[in-house]
Amino acid sequence: MKRKASSSTGEEAEINVSPLIDMVFILLIFFIVATSFVNEVGISSNHKDTANSSTEISPLSFELPGSGQVTRNGTPIELRQIAPVVRTASAKSKPSVLVKISPGARAGLATQVMDQALLGGAKAVKFAPLPK
Amino acid sequence: MRTRIKSADEEGNESINVSPLIDVVFILLIFFIVSATFVSLPGVEISRVRTETAKSLERNSILFALSDEDEIYHGGKKVNLQDVPGLIEKASKDRKKPVVIQVDQWADATIMAKLVAEAGKNSNSVSIATRKPK
Repeated sequence: MKRKASSSTGEEAEINVSPLIDMVFILLIFFIVATSFVNEVGISSNHKDTANSSTEISPLSFELPGSGQVTRNGTPIELRQIAPVVRTASAKSKPSVLVKISPGARAGLATQVMDQALLGGAKAVKFAPLPK
Repeated sequence: MRTRIKSADEEGNESINVSPLIDVVFILLIFFIVSATFVSLPGVEISRVRTETAKSLERNSILFALSDEDEIYHGGKKVNLQDVPGLIEKASKDRKKPVVIQVDQWADATIMAKLVAEAGKNSNSVSIATRKPK
């Protein structure tokens, strides 16, 4: 690594690398700080909005009234019963699930309904907000 | 630079060879440049719901947040529902990026449904951020 640049005087000239190292360190620290390792976990309902029309077979539907109770065709249903209901329906084909949401329902409950439906093997979960 | 001149017989005047250090620092620098994704966080505290089917989502996604006061946040600012498709369009540039919505469990579910529908207009994948089960 001894590289001798012979100038006219014959002196040994060396490039000063300390400013370079300073710059590189500053860049390094900037990128370390700016890198945000956001690692989100979550659920996704891979529904295609365009393909989902009224001509398709009627999806399993759950209702979420504002009371905080999940119902299916008007009868109350426990949260943990959703997955078995979806699973029995999915014996024939992968069903899509429609969650009808009334105003006043909590988003946490809707997410849990979606989670249970996906646990039961639902192909897609769609939210339908009902008007007031 | 006079001190840099090597004199092997003299003690204390020896310069340290810095080239391996520079090599390592360059490798680290390139690693961090490549891995930097610059995700803009929504900037609001969200209490997530625990779900059983939660799986790891894509890192480089567009984040939205729905607070418990039914307000939508993106990039540290409050946004309107009808601006959401435009914001996704702007943030994803040429290729379609996935959208992750951080929903507070006490938010209104109808707003969430509308937000998911609006985000689905301009993105192939809309996910809801949750927590892993215990």
